[in-house]
Amino acid sequence: MFKKQYESHETVSIIFEGKNLDVEIGQTVASALLVGGDMVFRSSVVSGQPRAPYCMMGVCFECLIEIDGIPNQLACMIPVREAMKIKRQQKNKE
Amino acid sequence: MAAAITARAHGLSVLVLDEQPSAGGQIFRNIESLEATRNSEFSKLGQEYEFGSSLVRRFKKCGADYFTDRSVWQIDNNLQIHHVSASASKSNSVISHCQAKRLLIAVGAMERPMPLPGWTIPGVMPCTAVDVLYKSSGLIPDGEVVLAGSGPLLLLIGCRLLDVGVHVSAFLDTSMNGALLKALPLLPNALRSHKYLTRGLSLLWKIRKAGIPFYSGIQNIEALGASKLEKVRIGKSGKFFDVTADLLLLHNGVVPNVQITRNLGCEHRWYDVQRYWEPIVDDWGNTSVDHVSIAGDCGRVAGAAISEVSGHLAALETVYQLGVISKVERDNLSQPHRIELARQKHVRPFLDKLFQPSKTWLVPENDKTLACRCEEVKVSEIRETVRMGIKDPDSLKSMTRCGMGYCQARMCGLTVSEIIAEEKKVSPEEIGYFRVRSPIRPITLGQLAEID
Amino acid sequence: MIKENAEVVVVGGGVIGVSLAYGMVKKGAKVILIDKVDNRLTASRGNFGLVWFQGKGKGMPRYVEWCIEAIERWPEFAENLETETGFNLNYEKTGGLEICLGEEEHQERVNFIEEMSQASRSGRYDCEMISRKELQGMLPKIKLGKEVSGASFCSHDGCVNPLNLLKAMNSSFQQKGGSFRPEQSVQKIECSSNDFKIETGTHSFNAEKLVIACGLMTTKLARMVGMKVSVIPERGQILVTERTSRVFNYPTAGIRQNYDGSFMLGSSHEAVGYNIETSYEVLQNIAKRAIRILPSLKNLQLIRSWAALRVLTPDQKPVYLESDQYPGAHAITSHSGVSLASIHSSILVEWILEERIPLGFTAFHPKRFNVQEAI
Repeated sequence: MFKKQYESHETVSIIFEGKNLDVEIGQTVASALLVGGDMVFRSSVVSGQPRAPYCMMGVCFECLIEIDGIPNQLACMIPVREAMKIKRQQKNKE
Repeated sequence: MAAAITARAHGLSVLVLDEQPSAGGQIFRNIESLEATRNSEFSKLGQEYEFGSSLVRRFKKCGADYFTDRSVWQIDNNLQIHHVSASASKSNSVISHCQAKRLLIAVGAMERPMPLPGWTIPGVMPCTAVDVLYKSSGLIPDGEVVLAGSGPLLLLIGCRLLDVGVHVSAFLDTSMNGALLKALPLLPNALRSHKYLTRGLSLLWKIRKAGIPFYSGIQNIEALGASKLEKVRIGKSGKFFDVTADLLLLHNGVVPNVQITRNLGCEHRWYDVQRYWEPIVDDWGNTSVDHVSIAGDCGRVAGAAISEVSGHLAALETVYQLGVISKVERDNLSQPHRIELARQKHVRPFLDKLFQPSKTWLVPENDKTLACRCEEVKVSEIRETVRMGIKDPDSLKSMTRCGMGYCQARMCGLTVSEIIAEEKKVSPEEIGYFRVRSPIRPITLGQLAEID
Repeated sequence: MIKENAEVVVVGGGVIGVSLAYGMVKKGAKVILIDKVDNRLTASRGNFGLVWFQGKGKGMPRYVEWCIEAIERWPEFAENLETETGFNLNYEKTGGLEICLGEEEHQERVNFIEEMSQASRSGRYDCEMISRKELQGMLPKIKLGKEVSGASFCSHDGCVNPLNLLKAMNSSFQQKGGSFRPEQSVQKIECSSNDFKIETGTHSFNAEKLVIACGLMTTKLARMVGMKVSVIPERGQILVTERTSRVFNYPTAGIRQNYDGSFMLGSSHEAVGYNIETSYEVLQNIAKRAIRILPSLKNLQLIRSWAALRVLTPDQKPVYLESDQYPGAHAITSHSGVSLASIHSSILVEWILEERIPLGFTAFHPKRFNVQEAI
């Protein structure tokens, strides 16, 4: 969906859905995950439809994702950190 | 930043709470780091960026206490302000409180939501999102991009995408009766020579020259795809055709972010030309609530230059209200700013009119369109509820859940006022807006309870 | 001025007015329901959604019986409403808890339950104390806080989505031919020997019977037809969190988990007049108590909060009154509009339409306040 325009300067390693990714330091979780791959961050809590980051500035709350075991974190505001574990959110299971 | 600089120059003690990770707001987002590490791109962003960079330098040196990454979630009547980290893992950030004598709100604008069928599909974004990704992380769209909407920002961002070699497969102009192209050459010289407009013209020219299919007078846009955007269906004069796309960028102008001023109970009015709510202020940015003023695009949206001036003016008023300078001194000191304001401002009414959002994109015609993304409330449900006899947005919210989700009605508030107004055949002014309650931003119960 | 006629005009589009209007159209009456302009501070829209029995009726055995009857009618009432409208009320009759923190609260609750059950004449006061261990056994998916000392449990209790309830009753009322007229503020009521004329700025309604059930406005409107009913506002604040998986399957008076997984936390009791602002201290206290009961709630995000006003009579129990001066005019007010919706839409409707007076009904007459004053 998006590509990086230049080589990364300095990277950290994050774990997304069990896979290691080396991503540039200083960016948000949302921008790190938008490079390559598909964009789906979660499924809607109402219909279960796939959702992805939207506004990228902390207004729309579409980019909610599970970080280090805590759900519903704003990926577009949170910077990547070494060894961060990130998981997609699925519609509430009973 | 401007307000802090002026307030500090008169010796006030100033605390600046910024939700972003670095100074610059949205327009000059990530400007320091861009200048330091990606200088070639920095120069591509244009002259304004040079100016922004000098503003940030002056701000950083002015002596204000500056906290990045702070979200204000509650402001008490006595101006006790409660804030929390915007980004830290939510379980380990503690609430901070501070007591202010005066509060200046300068939270800027946000893009007007542009509800259309399929706008929740991954691959549909507002155009500024791409700008944020570019400035903060050097990301550019990969694949086919369709731009749709109206307003100068869309042109600007379209051109930036072309500059970096992005493939734009269509430009869908939704401005009122496709006036954009026709109107510009007809302007009086004085206006036409204004830098905003000459720039607008050159941007438009650039898009035309790049040979991008340019469609005016679009009536329908629908995003199609399952787990990602596949194509955009376009309706023009009753005919429909599809364009394949990986990314659909929408833009229907920017509107003030009124979440905090609404929460504080400031009086707002409906600005009909641009169809949004703005806090009612005097010439110095004072709102209807004592000791609370605003500056910049969280009032009437007017861009970076006017925002800066309004910041200086609101700060001078603050300095005067706190008894540091006299009224005469305030008025004298404000003279150069007033002159600059007048110079910048004369083109705004024309611009606002030129880029007036058209009704098709304010009140979705397609009843299946989601007005509320969080709770997935369709336009049809809102209409039905209004027909049951509900008129005020808060009652509508309680009947439909529209506006009850995470975004706290930021994404559906305007649409709801517009739909009810249309159903009732009155102005949104008569309909009003949601009551904005605390928390202004979600916080955890642990943070609220101040329990570790 | 638009003129309209009906058999009954109900003033008040909140949960009580709507349940009465809904019950009346089911009986075939021609009803106009009028509602005011601003609904922001009403209890009907801001309540906690409990269909509740335990704790209600202290000092008035007739009210205890009334509540039991209402609760017993609820499952059928909810089912009918859902069938009629297709709306889901999310009504659950699981039994409800009142959770105690520390020994003192526990003992107070024990005494209270004891007192209630002795005062109840029929012996139908079905509420028991359970230990902390039993409570944890009932809530296997969530850990209780250290201070939790036990709870009272009442099998009659349950909860409903109060907004869906209001919407469903209004919708069914309209489907069955009832006329809903919002944005009406009553300016004048004229009474003649056989009818009432209710005037708003734009409409004039004529009816043989009049029902005033408009919450905090009841005092003012009842006075227009010669009835003295006094009610005062009491502010309550409520918090709602983000959704999470279902772990808490019983409603309590202060914590419940909605069908969608969000937690609702309440609630304060504040005498602050007509103020509907939320306040930091109160929200904080609600959050603190909830975390003391269920520590894991501390990681949940607070999404919304609001305040609304309860409508309280001097003894917090309902007033059902017909005017002596103008028979056919009724004033109805209760703090428990949701719990009593089932009985308001049935037995109370029979009282208003058919003049069938329930046994011991004088207990709900406001003259009880005069008696108390005299003592």
